[in-house]
Amino acid sequence: MLRIENIHFSYGKDEVLKSVTLSLNASMNCLLGPNGSGKSTLLKIITGILPPRCGTIRTEKVDILNLSPRERSKMISYVPQEFSINFPYKVSDVVLMGRNPYINLLEGPKTDDEKIVLHYLRLLNIENLKDKPFTHLSGGQKRMVLIARGLAQEGKIMLFDEPTMSLDFKNQLLVLTVIEKISKKFNKCVLLSLHDPNLALLFCDELFLLKGGKIIREGIPNKTITEESMMELYNLKTLLVSTSNERSFVVPKKDFLNTLFLGEKDDFRKNRKKDTSAPERRS
Amino acid sequence: MKKIKARDFIYVASYIVVFIVSLFIGRLWFSPFGMNGINKIIFIDVRLPRAIIVSLAGASLGLAGIAFQNLFRNYLAGPGILGVTSGSAFGAVFAILIFQFNPYLIQSSSFIFGIIAVVLAYKLGSLIGKGLLSLILAGMVVSAIFGGFIGLAKYLADPYNKLPTIVFWLLGSFSGIRWIDVEVSFLPMVIGIVGLISMRWVFNILSLGDEEATALGINAKRWRIAAIILATLCSSAATSVGGMIAWIGLVSPHIARLMTGVDNKKLVPMTAIVGAFLLLVCDTVARSLTASEIPLSIVTDFVGAPILFIILVKRRKMYYVKD
Repeated sequence: MLRIENIHFSYGKDEVLKSVTLSLNASMNCLLGPNGSGKSTLLKIITGILPPRCGTIRTEKVDILNLSPRERSKMISYVPQEFSINFPYKVSDVVLMGRNPYINLLEGPKTDDEKIVLHYLRLLNIENLKDKPFTHLSGGQKRMVLIARGLAQEGKIMLFDEPTMSLDFKNQLLVLTVIEKISKKFNKCVLLSLHDPNLALLFCDELFLLKGGKIIREGIPNKTITEESMMELYNLKTLLVSTSNERSFVVPKKDFLNTLFLGEKDDFRKNRKKDTSAPERRS
Repeated sequence: MKKIKARDFIYVASYIVVFIVSLFIGRLWFSPFGMNGINKIIFIDVRLPRAIIVSLAGASLGLAGIAFQNLFRNYLAGPGILGVTSGSAFGAVFAILIFQFNPYLIQSSSFIFGIIAVVLAYKLGSLIGKGLLSLILAGMVVSAIFGGFIGLAKYLADPYNKLPTIVFWLLGSFSGIRWIDVEVSFLPMVIGIVGLISMRWVFNILSLGDEEATALGINAKRWRIAAIILATLCSSAATSVGGMIAWIGLVSPHIARLMTGVDNKKLVPMTAIVGAFLLLVCDTVARSLTASEIPLSIVTDFVGAPILFIILVKRRKMYYVKD
């Protein structure tokens, strides 16, 4: 569906991406990597927000990098990590902005566009939010509205930059379930970035581990996420636990965390014991 | 859709009523029926050109305000944020100081310096960085520099001959506008107004910030420059003909938001109507209240600031408190 080849990018002297090459063939593709590994940068380059220093991005037919912003935005929907909307636009207006690639800029949207907006709001079960001001929604609701905007853009390729960011446990699952359903039902090619390997294991078909601006591993989640690869990606000792339905989950080793982050392991333990015993004495 | 149109019609109609009524109010009040010679001259050669120019200036300032509020994604941006007002003011003061009194020259110099100020802000901003914040900072620097020059000019000016003209001009006034004064500022104001109104949908997209605007398929940089050029064109033309006019550019978008909400499709045209309406009312008050004309900014200060305060209190939940 999308072939990204040999992408280089740097902010000033900092080289952020070093020859990134990947192909998106599955429907749910995921970028996993530590902070500053270049996930967001890569998504922005694919969208066209940042120009790569060199490299190619293309589908079977078209060279994406040579398209105008308008043509590109018809193929690629981008759902940003942060909510940058400062004015209390109505939810339906926000989603309507997703129709921009198809709208005559001087005339504005048509009634057909409004119908499409309504359709996607219904699809995501957020029609009730339609007249609410965007700035007053909860984090989970805002995320759903931006997903609806991405859908209204009707790109075959949808990019999500950390769609689970600042959401509670349930809303993270809600958002990812919705994205997964969209990708399967409408045959979209989704690329999203995540921070939680367990969510990647639960929802994704194809995984790319990004570290220091390079893809260090790729493949299906169960094969890609291993104790070794977590060590390589995050420098963390983890345990891979399999559940009865053949899913596996990553569990960090607590002892290792204490040594890693707090240095002197024994001292810390002593202190903690003191702390817990203090309230007991008082009672 | 049709219901909205009926309401819009009321707003436009109320502006037209104010426009017509203002033509018969002033130091000389007269009725539309039985105009004699001198009344006719005042009506056609004095009040009509003035009402037209004042309306265009009000719309220009309001639109420049809403344009910058969208571009900088901030409610407190006004037409002067990139230094255009101080630049225009300096241009006018400079012309008053150096040359014999010549309205045509003052207007041209003011217009040109307004544009120079924004170009300067843009160049300095690019030295600071790429983002919009650097542009605002550069605008502050440029405003301060021109402010300094204005102070210097006032200090150097002949206190009996030139200083009163400078002070009067800095406080803003449309007095003495004739058809011939329309020449310099008419075209830039109309171009700016038509251009900014036709960008109303694009402002929605631009207000999301450059990154999202690009993702939604517009060339954000190019549209942003277009908006800055149009806003500079009409606000420096308005300043060149009317002097420094406070508050209209900041308050008009806020009043318009009460009527239409924040969607720029409706908000931008409404801001133009509100700006024209408000400045026309203020100007009519300024020229009718006392025997000699009150400088316009005194009226707009007293009208604009309380209106803004009331709106901020009334709408604080909507705009500022996100709970």
